[in-house]
Amino acid sequence: MYQTSYPVRADLARKHLEAWRLIARPGAFFDAAERVQIVQEARAALYCALCRRRKDALSPNAVEGSHDAATALPTPLVDLIHRIRTDPARMTRSVFDGALAAGISAERYIEAVSVVCTSVIVDTFHNALGLPVPDTLPPEPGPPTGQERPPVVDAGAWVPLTAVDEADGVFGMPRAPNIGRAMGLVPSAVTLFFLAFRAHYALRDIPLDITQAQAEFIASRVSALNECFY
Amino acid sequence: MLLRASGERDDRAYELSAVTRGHGDSGVPHSDTIRALTEATVANRWDELAGLRESAATVLGEQAMVDVLTVAAAFNGITRVADATGIPLDDNVVPATEELRAAVGIDRFDYHEKTARYDLAAAS
Repeated sequence: MYQTSYPVRADLARKHLEAWRLIARPGAFFDAAERVQIVQEARAALYCALCRRRKDALSPNAVEGSHDAATALPTPLVDLIHRIRTDPARMTRSVFDGALAAGISAERYIEAVSVVCTSVIVDTFHNALGLPVPDTLPPEPGPPTGQERPPVVDAGAWVPLTAVDEADGVFGMPRAPNIGRAMGLVPSAVTLFFLAFRAHYALRDIPLDITQAQAEFIASRVSALNECFY
Repeated sequence: MLLRASGERDDRAYELSAVTRGHGDSGVPHSDTIRALTEATVANRWDELAGLRESAATVLGEQAMVDVLTVAAAFNGITRVADATGIPLDDNVVPATEELRAAVGIDRFDYHEKTARYDLAAAS
């Protein structure tokens, strides 16, 4: 990763490679081949005609059709991946409920969110630097690992959140912000995403050549563009 | 909202509505350059970014330009986690930001409000 003359920070490149390798291993609820296909599907979404029509519509839910899928993943999962990748601003409770009604468990939903969003970080950074996105790695064999059900609570999100006591330390912060608890139903999903994310940002004393205010300005602008309420 | 906290730490009053409006002077140094890089990154305008990278490197320095892209990429991911899980604001943030959210227009991003808006549009 990151064969470039631009000064990419070594720790970031290392963490991205670790995340990439982690995606190619069996997850708790998807096998490795499925996780790699989730990345491939997220990339295909950028060129999907249905996604473009939905993006142009007053409501994405008003446009029917088939996605230009790149994998053999189940159709409801493909729809979820494409929506997260191409139109996050208009992810709604009804999309989540529809995914569950179509047979995607909340745990698989969370794991898919984690893999897609991790790949968004890696791919966005490559694209922004003018680099080709990295090849996905060969998936390791084996079934999903499964997991014991972690302590979670209903805290007003669509998904159960990590119980507060358990969330302390997950995000490396003194208290438990909901963003660190959001994928708590699948702890390995939290691990994967923040493995990539933490190399990019810190809430204070950010170890970059931009000021904290400049970093927060960027964060705020991206949040506005993606209509992120949180 | 973290930008407001940065302003308090820096003893500066940043113009937060410039963030949601997408134009105007926020008071953050080099915000025009940073905004252009950020918006092109999130909108996948890769051809435009090639030129923006070069001009931004002149203004900010090459490492800082890369660091802008570093933060933009991270939040392009984490905003999707929030958007896909419908998490509420943290309890301690709700009362402290009520006026701010209304003033800068963030309340229209509320996940309950968005669900109603887009489902209603689909039904009509």
